[in-house]
Amino acid sequence: MAGVDAAVSAQAPAVPARRFPWVVLLIVPILIFLLIFFVIPYVNMVYMSFLVKPAEGAYIKQFTLGNYARALGDPFYWKILRNTFWYSLVTTVITLVLGYPLAYHIARVSRRWRGLLLILLISPLLVSVIVRSFGWMIILGRVGLINQFVKSRGGPELHLMYNAFGIIVGLVHVYLPFMALSIAGSLQNISPDLERAARSLGASPWRAFWRITWPLSLPGVFAGTLLVFVLAVSSYVIPILLGANNVLVMPMIIVQMLLDAFNWPLGSALAMVLFGLTAALLWFYIKLMNRALRWSVR
Amino acid sequence: MASITLRDLTKRFESVVAVNRLSIEIQEGELITLLGPSGCGKTTTLRMIGGFETPNAGEIFFGERPVTWLQPELRNIGIVFQNYALFPHMTVWDNIAFGLEMRRETPAKIRQRVAAILDKVQLSGMERRYSHQLSGGQQQRVALARALVVNPAVLLLDEPLANLDAKLREEMRFYIRHLQREFGITTIYVTHDQAEAMVLADRIVLMKDGRLQQLGSAEDLYRRPHNAWVAEFIGLSNFIPGTVVGRNDGQLSVRTAAGVFACTGEATTGEVVICVRPESLHFGPQHPNRITGVVQERVFLGNLLDYRVEGPDGLRLRVQADPSRQFDPGTSVEVSFAPADAWVVRPSEA
Repeated sequence: MAGVDAAVSAQAPAVPARRFPWVVLLIVPILIFLLIFFVIPYVNMVYMSFLVKPAEGAYIKQFTLGNYARALGDPFYWKILRNTFWYSLVTTVITLVLGYPLAYHIARVSRRWRGLLLILLISPLLVSVIVRSFGWMIILGRVGLINQFVKSRGGPELHLMYNAFGIIVGLVHVYLPFMALSIAGSLQNISPDLERAARSLGASPWRAFWRITWPLSLPGVFAGTLLVFVLAVSSYVIPILLGANNVLVMPMIIVQMLLDAFNWPLGSALAMVLFGLTAALLWFYIKLMNRALRWSVR
Repeated sequence: MASITLRDLTKRFESVVAVNRLSIEIQEGELITLLGPSGCGKTTTLRMIGGFETPNAGEIFFGERPVTWLQPELRNIGIVFQNYALFPHMTVWDNIAFGLEMRRETPAKIRQRVAAILDKVQLSGMERRYSHQLSGGQQQRVALARALVVNPAVLLLDEPLANLDAKLREEMRFYIRHLQREFGITTIYVTHDQAEAMVLADRIVLMKDGRLQQLGSAEDLYRRPHNAWVAEFIGLSNFIPGTVVGRNDGQLSVRTAAGVFACTGEATTGEVVICVRPESLHFGPQHPNRITGVVQERVFLGNLLDYRVEGPDGLRLRVQADPSRQFDPGTSVEVSFAPADAWVVRPSEA
């Protein structure tokens, strides 16, 4: 950055007057879009979370901290928050374990194969989450493929759906490509010569991986885990379809509060709590990752 | 320290034969270069010696020890890659210490060995830096130090100077030569730059299309090329096609469109090509083989003048002469060359 600044200031005297940087205007459309459809609704929601919910009607314009007191004081919500973060964590770990070898393979095959594998990896994203969840229902259900097979062999009926297991299967399936793509991007930038150099210096393939490739792929691992965790925390459709109402996660509660209970202030406060806690977790995580990636700071 | 023997080494990639029955013996402590145009199989050969590619056929020995199927980490080699392949998440110190750690040396010994080699490559004081904080030349020296600190039996260098600017490249050639002599380590150096090969190598392995073309000293390759391709690849040469019409006393008589010339060489019958280096053609009749022609072009190159001369039957000759006498374009000249400088080889196939 210092070099760039120096280069810019070195050129500056040649320009007679400061001209307006018209290029900046190119980002105005997206800024307007985000302002209208993201910032304003969000600010409105923050505002809403401090209003009073009357017995009749949506809200009255009167300041209260009562919604937050309820959201944070009720053990029921804490249990659901814990569930939400726990399922997201498990999903993240499983996608990491499954996605890393996949990414490694994609990053190391010839260019021709890589294109094909990337298309295969992304192709599930072409099908809507709802359709895919129904697909899982056919496989995991009480009379689904797996149970039919198990029962035909005289096995017991397995409970694969409408529980945490079903949700995690669905989440892993949907978010695996995000993890694998993040890691593959990182791995592709690592020259195979680095591992060769480590091998030549006496490292077994396993040690060469752990000492060289793994630490160098951490930026992709961090990006992938962040992405999958955030997506999993906020996922709604999969828990609804594959968990029914047996397993509750925060987005389901928030939607119920907003639409079914018609309690916009409390729903908004719950959304803010989920946002705040997720942000805090990510902040710690990013701190941690910056420490692990100190070497890459230029 | 070990000699290296390659025996009928062959590597195929799908339908392409990258290395074709290559047999070489490298003496202990010798520095040889694998030289050739890109795609000639030199890097594949180096990778097989390093254990990063498995040959389809043939054998590799370090000394008496067969290593053909050995994993790289068991071969005791040092390798320097074109991009240096320094570990970017490790400091200079940790990069160099890596090989010693893998060999489970004691911390005290690691400290002592790393410090000693840092001193040797003049990088003391740089040990806490990361590779992106080093210049290209410094990275190069870290890579060399990392490879040498483990006392490898064999040092493999894959175009190690290709990413340096011209001036530094020249310096580093001599520096690598100096280090290699000091360590007395058997070294294989891959390059496509013939000047680099000539400066560095005890012997040069010249390859083309996976096949050995010639193995010899720089002087062998320059003065006594095995075939027209070698003569063309190493330095500049004039090629005069002809037919052998007689031989006596080790000299060959070759009939060409420009006359019958007395020559030396290995090809003794049939269709041949006479190779004459531009500096071996002299203006004036002082040598027995003479050609008359007309100067077409003259270029001043500082220490010499570079002429294009057109001889009989469209024969185009390149003549490099010292600038004391000048011939203008259009002048009729006589050029001559000695039989010892007229080297006869078989024409290149195809």
